Amino acid sequence: MSRILIEMKGICKEFPGVKAVQDGLFSLEEGEIHSLIGENGAGKSTLMKVLYGMYVPEEGSIAVKGETYPSLTPKQAIGLGIGMVHQEFMLVREMTVLENIILGFEPRRGGRIDRRAALEKIEYYADTYGLRVHPDKKVEEISVGEAQRVEIIKTLYRGAEILVLDEPTAVLTPQEAEQLFCILRSMKEGGKSIVFISHKLQEVLAISDRITVMRGGKHIATVAGSSTSAPELARLMVGREVFLGGSPVPAAKGDVALSVENIFVPGEKELSKLRGVSFSVRKGEILGIAGVNGNGQSELAEAIAGLRQVQRGRVVLGGAEVQNMPPRRIREHGLSHIPEDRNQRGLDRFSDVKENLAACSVSEPPLSSLGVIRWGKVREFAEGLIRSYDIRPAGADIEASGLSGGNAQKVVVAREVSRKAEVLLASQPTRGVDIGSIETIRNELNRAKEAGAAVVLISSDLEEILSLSDRIAVMFEGRITGEVDSSEADEEKLGLLMTGGGTHV
Amino acid sequence: MYKTSWGSTLMTIILSLALGAGAILLLGYDPIEAYYQLFRGAFVGKFNIGGVMERFVPLMLTALAFAVSAKVAVFNVGVEGELYLGAIAAAWAGYAFTGLHPLVHIPLCFAVAMVASGAWGAIPGALKAYWKVNEVCVTILMNYVAIYFTSYLVGNPFSARASIPRTPTIEESARLLRILRPSRANIGLFVALGVLVLVWWMLYHTNWGYKLRHVGQNPFFSEYVGIPPKKVMIWGMILSGAIGGLAGAIEVMGIHGHFLDNFSPGIAFDGMLASLIAKNDIRMVPVLSLFLAVLKTGALGMERFTGVPKTLIDTIIAVFILLAAMEGLFAYSRRRSARSSGEEAA
Repeated sequence: MSRILIEMKGICKEFPGVKAVQDGLFSLEEGEIHSLIGENGAGKSTLMKVLYGMYVPEEGSIAVKGETYPSLTPKQAIGLGIGMVHQEFMLVREMTVLENIILGFEPRRGGRIDRRAALEKIEYYADTYGLRVHPDKKVEEISVGEAQRVEIIKTLYRGAEILVLDEPTAVLTPQEAEQLFCILRSMKEGGKSIVFISHKLQEVLAISDRITVMRGGKHIATVAGSSTSAPELARLMVGREVFLGGSPVPAAKGDVALSVENIFVPGEKELSKLRGVSFSVRKGEILGIAGVNGNGQSELAEAIAGLRQVQRGRVVLGGAEVQNMPPRRIREHGLSHIPEDRNQRGLDRFSDVKENLAACSVSEPPLSSLGVIRWGKVREFAEGLIRSYDIRPAGADIEASGLSGGNAQKVVVAREVSRKAEVLLASQPTRGVDIGSIETIRNELNRAKEAGAAVVLISSDLEEILSLSDRIAVMFEGRITGEVDSSEADEEKLGLLMTGGGTHV
Repeated sequence: MYKTSWGSTLMTIILSLALGAGAILLLGYDPIEAYYQLFRGAFVGKFNIGGVMERFVPLMLTALAFAVSAKVAVFNVGVEGELYLGAIAAAWAGYAFTGLHPLVHIPLCFAVAMVASGAWGAIPGALKAYWKVNEVCVTILMNYVAIYFTSYLVGNPFSARASIPRTPTIEESARLLRILRPSRANIGLFVALGVLVLVWWMLYHTNWGYKLRHVGQNPFFSEYVGIPPKKVMIWGMILSGAIGGLAGAIEVMGIHGHFLDNFSPGIAFDGMLASLIAKNDIRMVPVLSLFLAVLKTGALGMERFTGVPKTLIDTIIAVFILLAAMEGLFAYSRRRSARSSGEEAA
């Protein structure tokens, strides 16, 4: 048994109106990867911020390397060798990678910064743990994955023996996540101890020695990574049986409801331009569109919804050509759209829930007559949706910015799905959403399909694609590299298509 | 996007008056006497009450114009120019058409004024919506254009050929009925209040208002749910301009009886202040406009009877704005901390 580095006991932390952590329990052994999992709001981040000294707990004790403290300050925590990589990177975008790493801890020679010493040290970390970075690039020029590596080097540079990573994979592509896991494993081998916060079960199972589950601010269980399974973890996290995964539900297929014919669309980046994309979806089927983020999926969704110019090609919806129509007309032709960015597109965060729920139907009877909104009806309408989609807290007058990610997404889903449009375009519908809401949202997509809607599901989560889609198309660099029936699809095959391999086979 | 509350506004008013009292003491006067005269000068006698109303109407309408443009996320500094254009348009319609019944002539003057300044407001709106031209620069510059243009008109084609640059006097049928004589207050007050209620109702109870508010709060969301944000932004600016023009029309038709060159001492900028203090909340706009009108009117009486310089009132208003801004700051930091702790809990 290796040495216990951290022992947190009886931690309580309250925010106005909420008990974020109650009787929190956590321990970390030397040289292990210990995952901390739970739904959004389970108190994972809060507990770790107590450890890092960002919050002062009301009760409890923190023992680090045998010394017991009632609370820590960030300075103490760093002094004890604790480093934290936050969800949002704390880097200065205008400065270079090297400057960011040494900021505040510059090696000096005479009165000047010793660049060579700094570089050597960074190279040492890069070689030992596979943390490849470009020291002379500015942070604004590097990818998210590299920025994360910079953050990790920064904490190591400050002498961290214990690394806390707060949902590090939330911002990464699958490949980048895989790279990160290699790094974490080699760091573990190098004797570092790692706390890994996540709510993605597969990842947690892949790398953890031990797993602690939290729910509603409380410690639920700590299990060994080798002796548990995804269903068990899901049950511990949610507190009941959860049915994720599974395979596509059969439903009667009808006519083609949406067809995209050879469209060309300008993109945010060179790789995400659409270069001749074609596909069609029938009523009663889900077409999954898989691919690594940034290969044109966002552009495809926006082009279909009328939010981005189509340069060439046709989009046929309900028998009419709708490319480059204003979004309102496209909706009238039978499109519902769950956008990938709920905070900008999907919701007006400064409006209340009822205004958000009613946004697409407020100008039609019965919610308004002769241009005058009937607020009584709007409230009824909203309360109906809040009930049937289990949006919590259940209040029509709550500002949308006050909802958690999962519930905010349920507002979007409720508004779009309840319209019962012929075509439902769902873009990353469960990204950044807790597991209970994922289940609700996936069920809604299946229900829409059974009710006869043609569903286009764009997702970078392969497991989601595989468990919902009847057919799967894979996008790579603005093209569709292949289309497979779900019965023949597996992760390997899709993975090959996702890296463009399919085109050369 | 914080909401104002009656309680905090009242507290801000009291605190700024208290600080003003301190300043009066420092100047060697009796603050109680000064405030007593200030409130006498604003509230005692028809003339004084009428004086408050005279100032209140254009202040409130220009504040409302600013608040409406703020709803579509345009920071409209151009209300002053809209006021001038509305005023000269109303004056022209007031003297050029003769022999009309007041019930026809008055609405006609209003309509001409509102169309002229509404169209004027559409220009910065369209520039911002379609070409992302900064509306603050455009509206500031357009103020000069509007004011000099009216100067030209009043000196040449519309001139009354009198000793001062002004238009001919408007027809009796275009005059707004005076109330509270001998002051110059007039039924424009009721028009203004009616417009206020109507605008509030449109914003919060019609589809059109729904679009307007959402375009201002989140244009991306609006576009996505099928509201054309660019067009709506322009319509919001047209409405804002029309309200500014109405303010000018009421000044001409109710108070002066003609358009006088450079008649406004920056009324719309005071209105903008009132709206900013009200955080562009339509319900608070009349309250704060009234407060400013009372201070400005009462200051004359205060100076006359106690010798406290009336410019002191401008100091009090400045303090008031500072306090109101700080309140916003507090509300903002509260929100931020509430949000970050909410995220932990969420």
